[in-house]
Amino acid sequence: METTTAVDKRTGREVGTQEPTRTMPRYRPLVDIEEHADELRVIAEVPGAKAEDIDINYEQGILTLHARVRPRQPENVNYLIREYGIGDYYRAFEVSETIDPSRISADYTDGVLVLHLPKAEKAKARKVEVKAR
Amino acid sequence: MLMSTLMPWRSKSNDDDGASTALSRLHDEVDHLFGRFFEDAFGVTPGMTAGDMGWAPLLDVSETDDEIRVSAEIPGIDPKEFDVSVTGNVLTISGEKKEESEERKGNVYRTERRFGTFRRSITLPDNVDTEKVSADYDRGVLTVHLPKTEKATAKRIPVSASKKK
Repeated sequence: METTTAVDKRTGREVGTQEPTRTMPRYRPLVDIEEHADELRVIAEVPGAKAEDIDINYEQGILTLHARVRPRQPENVNYLIREYGIGDYYRAFEVSETIDPSRISADYTDGVLVLHLPKAEKAKARKVEVKAR
Repeated sequence: MLMSTLMPWRSKSNDDDGASTALSRLHDEVDHLFGRFFEDAFGVTPGMTAGDMGWAPLLDVSETDDEIRVSAEIPGIDPKEFDVSVTGNVLTISGEKKEESEERKGNVYRTERRFGTFRRSITLPDNVDTEKVSADYDRGVLTVHLPKTEKATAKRIPVSASKKK
């Protein structure tokens, strides 16, 4: 099968190969991943994407993020400088089983997508009391 | 054959220039190597290493019949934190992307996003009406509209062939 490459926007370097669905370039969004007491939080930057064009999928331990980005400029535009490309964002994450997929939620403001992956009950840290005798 | 081409150290051009371009090329290459090294070893992208110096957003500059448009992807910033100014014919976009301090309490597995101050200046073609510059921020993309002045709208100049010999 033919593969396309994922591109890092800032460096323009190829960061991995993916199976193609469209012939446009796909960019790897920058992410921060944090662990909090009751959830994992993935914060991804997908500037230019509309909230309704962002697909988040969780299947068999793989969380995928795909944000479609439509061309922002009219067709007859003349570029003088073009430092970053415009195209879809795509990235997949392997998530351990300790999250509760049914409660995954996401919010999106100003090009920043925040994914909340709540930990499953059994995975939450429990404080063990030590009894003094 | 000219003697200078046989003796590369005494080329026709100024010796200092030749030396400095070679040196600056070496400098660039070393920079590149270091960039690659840090990127591969620590996942740091060039441009993040600037530390206190801040970072510079990437720009797209496009031109239509009546305006020059400068856009930058700067997600997750309060529009009030932008400072867009035109001085003479230089457009400067600067601001600060603040880190959500409350958010940083947990363990952090990956930090790829950039925070802190950023700044970028570009020289505009002198045919822009600086009085009418406007900017908007939508879904993480800042767009600055710079309308062209009347006199700058392209005029086609006919070239007539002269019949005289």
